[in-house]
Amino acid sequence: MNRINIVSSGFRRMCTLLGVSMVLTFSLHAAPVRVVTTTGMVGDMVSRIGGDQVLVDYLMGPGVDPHLYKATASDVRKLQRAQVIFYNGLFLEGKMQEIFERMARGGRSVVAITHRIDHDRLIHPHDSTGHPDPHIWFDTALWAECIAEVVEALQVVVPAAADQFAAQGQVVREEMQGLHEWVQRKVAELPAAKRILVTSHDAYGYFGRAYGFQVVGLQGISTVSEAALADMARLVDFIEERDIQAIFVETSVPHATIERIATDADVAVGGELFSDAMGTPGQIEHGYDLGTYGGMVRHNVTTIVDALK
Amino acid sequence: MSELIPSFDWQRVMIDPWTLDLSLYGWIFLMGFCATAACGLVGNYLILRRMALMGDAVSHSVLPGLVIAFLLTDSRGTTPMFLGALVAGILTTVLVESIHRRTRVKQDAAIGIAFTTLFAIGVLLVSLFSNQIDLDAECVLYGEIAFVPLEPLVTLGGVELGPISLVRMVAVLLGVAVLILVFYKELLIASFDEALAKAMRINPTWVHYGLMAVLSVVVVSAFEAVGAILVIAMLILPGATASLLTDRLGVMHFIAIGHAAISAWLGVGLGVWLDCSIGAAMVVGGAFVFGVVWMGTLLTKLKRQRSKPQQSGATVSAPASVS
Repeated sequence: MNRINIVSSGFRRMCTLLGVSMVLTFSLHAAPVRVVTTTGMVGDMVSRIGGDQVLVDYLMGPGVDPHLYKATASDVRKLQRAQVIFYNGLFLEGKMQEIFERMARGGRSVVAITHRIDHDRLIHPHDSTGHPDPHIWFDTALWAECIAEVVEALQVVVPAAADQFAAQGQVVREEMQGLHEWVQRKVAELPAAKRILVTSHDAYGYFGRAYGFQVVGLQGISTVSEAALADMARLVDFIEERDIQAIFVETSVPHATIERIATDADVAVGGELFSDAMGTPGQIEHGYDLGTYGGMVRHNVTTIVDALK
Repeated sequence: MSELIPSFDWQRVMIDPWTLDLSLYGWIFLMGFCATAACGLVGNYLILRRMALMGDAVSHSVLPGLVIAFLLTDSRGTTPMFLGALVAGILTTVLVESIHRRTRVKQDAAIGIAFTTLFAIGVLLVSLFSNQIDLDAECVLYGEIAFVPLEPLVTLGGVELGPISLVRMVAVLLGVAVLILVFYKELLIASFDEALAKAMRINPTWVHYGLMAVLSVVVVSAFEAVGAILVIAMLILPGATASLLTDRLGVMHFIAIGHAAISAWLGVGLGVWLDCSIGAAMVVGGAFVFGVVWMGTLLTKLKRQRSKPQQSGATVSAPASVS
């Protein structure tokens, strides 16, 4: 108990020190707000809306599967020092969500950006008791609805820049509307019968619903469960029966099973799609920056449409 | 290589975590110490009984408990998951014990039978009932020691006690320590000499079941607080280290606690230095302590063998032998 008391008094002293230094920096010059997000998609949205008012850092870098993410020592320091934390929610972050909810109850500014999306617009796999599919960012129109949550949270932290956030939120919303229309046009190049997307796990349920694809994932919503043999055999039959030209691997999920199925069913692997993680910022492919949300969506859609044509 | 392993900065690795970032790493250290010490204390008895891998077994066999708890309560919250895991853990220990006592199967094989069966039942249940639901121990049960300092602090009568999961772990550690103090004689005799225990009217079976129930509570609450790898390793490493240094049960407990403190400290240092998972770093720290002690005992043995011929058979007191 003694130890705990020593630490907690140390902790209190630290808090005062931190508080004082924060007040000092704020009064001297408005330092950017330190924001930490879980996935790159959330990070991209926040940095677009926050602009020069925020300094965004995200935990799950390129190729990281959120289901298998392990926090490092510096990740915790980032989270502790962050003034605002944004996360996806809908259990994408697994048990980490519980910590976030506890932090929010403890008075920290921790926001699940999908928090206010209408329950009916979420996809509830099979039985209605289960948790909704968290991969909402591939329906660009639905993803745009998270903007309001981010804008409001930032306005609370930096009231002085409230108008800037609102204006920038509107800009991002219009961009996403443009992106949504671009995806619709691009997808229209494919006849409806050819819109079948076969991938490793069910990350594209919202994409399929929004843009008219039948989506078949091998592993289910979570990447943790292994594909059963019967599932693999059924998928091979399905591919042959529907005469599908290409199936796809994902950057954050091992490729072996999909490659095996491609061999068995004698179809091409149409390319690598981004699902739970974005690419490295500045990594350009087809002229799209894969480290941004827009670039990632355009890359995915181009890859899918070109391979299935 | 220089990119993979960051350079060792004394100030950043050894000083900063205990001064500048005390509010962060202080809690992580305390949590690591409490979880490791509680596991180590129970682990001593597992090692004596050759059941060291019981922790690994429980980590797998909690799955059916999680699924059934989910099906009954329709929630993935901590409380139903914890209770489900606890019941499954106790069931594992009971199964292991019944198989071992009522058949000719030895303990290690009994552990193998019990946990693989329960785990397989869990996998069956997952694919039967909740095919599309993300339900596995990694996601719903295992905690992460790094997140302990992020929890809001619990206050009691105006005194800040600490993060809630740490307070719970301290309670578990104290509970284990008190139980060992109270039942020390029974545990000692039942562990070493069942015949004597029976003669003294101590029922070794009940002692064993009691121990296994405590084990389940410790293991499941430690899973919930710090994650799997730290728990499985720390049931074994402190006790194994202690058994290299002494063959007195009482002393083993103190060495196990010392081991817990050192490995938690080393783990924080290593985690900060390499910027990696802190739980894994603590395990590596604990294994390092074991290695150092092992080398030490080897050297002592070597020294003794060399000095033997000159002393012409004079008995040398052996401070650290277990052979």
